[in-house]
Amino acid sequence: MAEPVKILTPFWHEPQSFSLDVYRKYGGYTALPKALKMQPQQIVDEVVKSNLRGRGGAGFPTGMKWNFVRKETSFPKYLVVNADEGEPGTFKDRAILENSPHMFVEGLIIGCFAIDCHLTYVYCRGEFRDGASARVQKAIDEAYASGFLGKNILGSGFDLEMHVVSGAGAYICGEETSLLESLEGKRGQVRFKPPLPALQGLWGKPTVINNVITFASVPIILDRGAEFYQHFGSGRSRGTLPMQLAGNIKHGGLVEIAFGMTMRELLYDFGGGSFTGRPIRAVQVGGPLGAYHPDSQFDTPLDYEAFAAIKGMLGHGGIVAFDDSVDMAAQARYAMEFCAIESCGKCTPCRIGSTRGVEVIDRLVAGEDAAKQEAILRDLCETLTYGSLCALGGLTPYPVISALNHFPQDFVKPARASSAVG
Amino acid sequence: MIQLNPAAGPVASPFEPEQQKRFDEGLKKAIAKYPPERTRAALLAALHLAQDLLGWLPEAAMAYVGFRLDVPPARVREVATFYTMYRLKPVGAHHIEVCNSVSCWAMGSEKVLQRCSTSLGIRPGEITPDGKYSLGEVACLAACGYAPALLVNNFRFVEWVDEKKLDDLFAELDKAPGKKMASLPPPKDTGRAH
Repeated sequence: MAEPVKILTPFWHEPQSFSLDVYRKYGGYTALPKALKMQPQQIVDEVVKSNLRGRGGAGFPTGMKWNFVRKETSFPKYLVVNADEGEPGTFKDRAILENSPHMFVEGLIIGCFAIDCHLTYVYCRGEFRDGASARVQKAIDEAYASGFLGKNILGSGFDLEMHVVSGAGAYICGEETSLLESLEGKRGQVRFKPPLPALQGLWGKPTVINNVITFASVPIILDRGAEFYQHFGSGRSRGTLPMQLAGNIKHGGLVEIAFGMTMRELLYDFGGGSFTGRPIRAVQVGGPLGAYHPDSQFDTPLDYEAFAAIKGMLGHGGIVAFDDSVDMAAQARYAMEFCAIESCGKCTPCRIGSTRGVEVIDRLVAGEDAAKQEAILRDLCETLTYGSLCALGGLTPYPVISALNHFPQDFVKPARASSAVG
Repeated sequence: MIQLNPAAGPVASPFEPEQQKRFDEGLKKAIAKYPPERTRAALLAALHLAQDLLGWLPEAAMAYVGFRLDVPPARVREVATFYTMYRLKPVGAHHIEVCNSVSCWAMGSEKVLQRCSTSLGIRPGEITPDGKYSLGEVACLAACGYAPALLVNNFRFVEWVDEKKLDDLFAELDKAPGKKMASLPPPKDTGRAH
């Protein structure tokens, strides 16, 4: 049986896993003094060598992003943490913030030191205020009290201020440029890229935006070395990823694994199969914008490239399982509807295309000139893929087209009674 | 930064003296997080504060927040209507929102919503006649591993919801006073359902 790897989660069985004492007992805050004695460039080089990639979903090499901002000559530089989690199928950031906030805070301090940033924001979703946000705020307060934050951290001469800020309920604010707009006190509307936030981000200044898990992975890299970290994983995906099992699954929850385990192992060895005991017919990987995969693809190893090769994406490692009672046409419709509801409204393909997409799927399922509707749907999806400003519109075709390709029979059956989700 | 016309004069506060104190303290803390020339960034936090005190965001609250942060009224309205956590009309003293996203749906969120609806005698989007409860739906709460989930009064998560948990929750909330809604005029038509 496949084994979990506990790099980020070794002490989660402790009831007070979120406390400073427990974190220190398990070797916490040993990487920070080490890092503060290094040259910032050395830290970035170590992160590059570890092959750590952004855990928010896109999998962009973290060290490379840090290097962009390091090389910028405009000051001040900012570092913003994306903790605006709320993507169906995902709960890893919340789990880290609630269970080991200190690991995240330590990684964030090291990241700030590496790119010469003195003011950093943790953007949490609004609903987390009394839960995850409060936990991380407490960890920050403890870090201040222990001299890990504030002026002249551990005598290194490095100053850093860290603040938690709250969103107010907008899925799109998990998109980095929209998150920046929100952080500036505006509507969370996506910005045009370029310029990349690394060049012009928060208030027009060079900004690194990374996910919670990305920072939580940093202390171990500095403490045990890049070699140790990148020893885990497969192909170009190194290290570990907390996978999240949800939907129709017997043992839902979070399990940290090294890249390379197959989906089948994850679903059956850890997930225990479906909750209803029926066969798992489809899984959606990588959130509401991830593709649906049929049983024939369950032996795909969980790594970024392997999933890209089967026209899917591993993304942030959220997996939602469905048993054989699922109607995939309804799921495709749900994906389009999700995009229509959550669209920020800035670009046309996403704002209007998603609504047209729902209508086309409805006509397709109703059997009105089906061949023509399918052609229109595919054409529309291509427009969304290439014409949208951000990943919301750009990736919505993934679940739609994968459902259409892998489960075409669901689109010709008479529509089932409750085809609408939400 | 565009300065507002000072001739427009101060905007009256919608708060009671005690609320005013809490608002002022909260706003000071929120502003302190940003560089001195970036106080407008505290707009989201200021709206959260006002809503926390008043239960929702009446017109007067939006105007006052704009005045305090030197943000034009149109910008305040833009923000208040964009984010779903801001209430543009009063809700019940206890506002229940059931997650309608896919993981919860796969674990029976429709039944949870139905049961809430039956227990309270209202449909999503409605308030009970006594103003005690309101019901709605909410997008994914990052509780997929603990589905189905619901949210009480914006910030409290209830997970692994089953019939017993719902009954216990309502029994508990029946006894709690909940949030008092300020009786002030609502914002002009914002084109949004809630």
